[in-house]
Amino acid sequence: MLKRIIDLRVALTLAVTILYCANDFAANNWNVPVDKKTKNSYIKFDAASASQGEAIYNKNCASCHGNPGKGNSLKSLSPVPPDLSSAKTQELTDGELFYILSTGRMIMPSFKNVLSEDERWRVISFIRSSNKSYVQTLSKFDPNKSKLVKINLNFDPATHNIRILAIANEKSGVVALKDAEVALFAIRYFGRLQIGKSTKTDKDGMANFKFSKDLPGDKAGIVELVAKVNDENYGEIESVTKMKVGIPTDKPALNKDRAIWNVLAKAPIWIIVLYSFGVLVFVLVLLYLLNNLRKLKKTGDN
Amino acid sequence: MSDQLKTEKITTDLLRSIRLNKSFLIWMGFLGLAFLICFGAYGLQLKNGMVVTGLGDYVSWGMYISNFVFFVATSLIGMLISAALGLSGQKWAAPLARIAEIIALAFAAVAGLVIVMDMGRPERLLNVIIHGRIQSPIVWDMTVVTVYVLISTLFLYIPLIPDLKICYDRLDKLPPFARNIYKLLSLNWTGSPAQKKLIKQSTRVIAIFIIPVALAIHTVTSWLFANTSRVGWDSTIFGPYFVTGAFVAGSAAVIIAMYFYRKNYGLKDYITDYHFDKMGQLLVLVSLIYLYFTLNEYMVPAYKMKTSEALHLSALFTGIHAGLFWSVQLFGLVLPIILLLFKKMRKPLPMLFIALAVLIGAWFKRYIIVVPTQEHPYLPIQNVPLSFKIYTPTLVETLITIAPFILVLIIITVLSKVIPIISVHETIEQLEENNQKD
Ligand code: HEC
Repeated sequence: MLKRIIDLRVALTLAVTILYCANDFAANNWNVPVDKKTKNSYIKFDAASASQGEAIYNKNCASCHGNPGKGNSLKSLSPVPPDLSSAKTQELTDGELFYILSTGRMIMPSFKNVLSEDERWRVISFIRSSNKSYVQTLSKFDPNKSKLVKINLNFDPATHNIRILAIANEKSGVVALKDAEVALFAIRYFGRLQIGKSTKTDKDGMANFKFSKDLPGDKAGIVELVAKVNDENYGEIESVTKMKVGIPTDKPALNKDRAIWNVLAKAPIWIIVLYSFGVLVFVLVLLYLLNNLRKLKKTGDN
Repeated sequence: MSDQLKTEKITTDLLRSIRLNKSFLIWMGFLGLAFLICFGAYGLQLKNGMVVTGLGDYVSWGMYISNFVFFVATSLIGMLISAALGLSGQKWAAPLARIAEIIALAFAAVAGLVIVMDMGRPERLLNVIIHGRIQSPIVWDMTVVTVYVLISTLFLYIPLIPDLKICYDRLDKLPPFARNIYKLLSLNWTGSPAQKKLIKQSTRVIAIFIIPVALAIHTVTSWLFANTSRVGWDSTIFGPYFVTGAFVAGSAAVIIAMYFYRKNYGLKDYITDYHFDKMGQLLVLVSLIYLYFTLNEYMVPAYKMKTSEALHLSALFTGIHAGLFWSVQLFGLVLPIILLLFKKMRKPLPMLFIALAVLIGAWFKRYIIVVPTQEHPYLPIQNVPLSFKIYTPTLVETLITIAPFILVLIIITVLSKVIPIISVHETIEQLEENNQKD
């Protein structure tokens, strides 16, 4: 009997230990692919980029991670968001930080479609700014190359597809952007709505997106689209195009007619009538009573 | 005893309380000191803002708003006793009318202040007047509270005019300035038939008009809650539910006041066991109606247990608020009803304790309505410290919550020191009427 209990204990301890290790493993290892690990920033990490990064950080990261070195991250989350100035985080390469920031994991959100590549590097510049021993390896990539890229959007009404063509106008001639990552977004009230999934361009620099038939557009059915291309050689390029791909929508504004939720000048008639009637009756009763009191005093005078 | 002598006795008896004495000064000194302490707490709130309270983004209505609902509720009793019972010919309630009116006026006047105490920036009250929209229940509430305070003042004042004259005539030991105030306020009262008719007509108009106004004031207060879609507030019976609850609280307050007036002012011949018996019956009646509404209010949603309401209801029935919830129902409602069914319990002293239990229960009942709902919004509360989720009042907040009670006691004490709390001329008229019948 006793032996069985001891056995059970050993098994339990083992199970707990394994679970604990597994947990630990998950918490530390981000499994960043090798080629991403060595990626470097083309933006120089200096005071200017760090201070721009700080503004982005305060808006997007501070609510969870707190301020670097202050230990005020949001403790109620599990796992607790690490202090990004900690040695453990600073040991990560720039490429790893960029990857983590771009893909996210569980509670840590993905910022790929929220922050541009530029902005992501600036945040990392800020994260590095407190680390005295950090030395930056600059990427040789020239961000000006992205200016050569032209992105074309084409809508085919028959198939309801949007075709994206990405080319670069090099001196030597037009080059198609092969194997570049492409994502398509429609601009909505509160942000960007991704259309379909990100794909890669084919050898001609083309990618196809199936566009839904029921996306509301403006009065004329026009929707503002953002195509985002990310290429090894040319970097990240965004282009905004307005296209007639949505359903024409002309709903009256919610504050156009008289309504409970509208401003005073547009209050519903029935409320105005009821309220005014109530106040009027009160004023009349009050006047009647005051007049009675006046008469009372007068009769007493004689 | 001849009629003349009887009238004389009534007048002296009822006017006896109008004088400065030691116990009054001690009591007022105590109230004044307590009020100063609480006012200091309010100073802290003005200086540092609402952080001194336990209120936050989720539970933004706490003890202050519970207090407000309680004060408005208690003030409704003036309408019930002086107007509703008076108009329906319930003669026994006549000597209690002025007491009820004093309570009503004090609670209604202070209710307005309680709302201002809930504001971190009280000067922004003006914004309700400048930018208010008449679609908003807050604007209706401000309107109707103001109207009720004005009407209650007139309801107290107009039937008081003949008594003011009696005060002027009889209280010749008072300093001249005080007598002059009585004279001024008695508006040349001579007791002529024309004047009597004016008073009678005016009183009747107010008595009728105050009924819808009183219903409105508490219905609108309930709409501050019921006009939202929140779990626990989104109810169609909130208006009548609040109004009946108000009668329960108000009756208890009147019983407590009756007890102390009778004892301290030597009014045993005027506020008799008969009045206590009747008030006890009234309290049972309104409590039963309230119990019925309470049953409706909780039983119907509990039967359906919609997902969104289940959290809220289980917090009340078995969760963190269960202790308070069941104590309030048991000690504030069920037990008082059962006890008051026995005639032996409808005597002054037992009724004082029962009424105290009912009144305390009534306060916590408001708390149960106001607070728990906010702990269960439709969008779940996530990733915040525990103190955001569960409301815990602070000491400063508690002191500020007590302040209005002290203010009400001050108003009631002062009013009952300067006017007879039972109508002198009506008591005399009643006597004459009875004699004519014999
Ligand atoms: C919703 C809360 C949240 C926000 C917002 C957030 N993070 Fe995180 N972050 C986390 C959590 C939780 C982890 C730990 C995740 C894990 O270990 O699985 C984390 C991990 C990280 C890591 C890895 C640290 C390490 O040492 O393992 C980095 C780097 C990071 N976040 C950067 C950022 C940056 C930069 C931003 C803003 C652009 C940001 N995070 C915004 C919650 C957040």
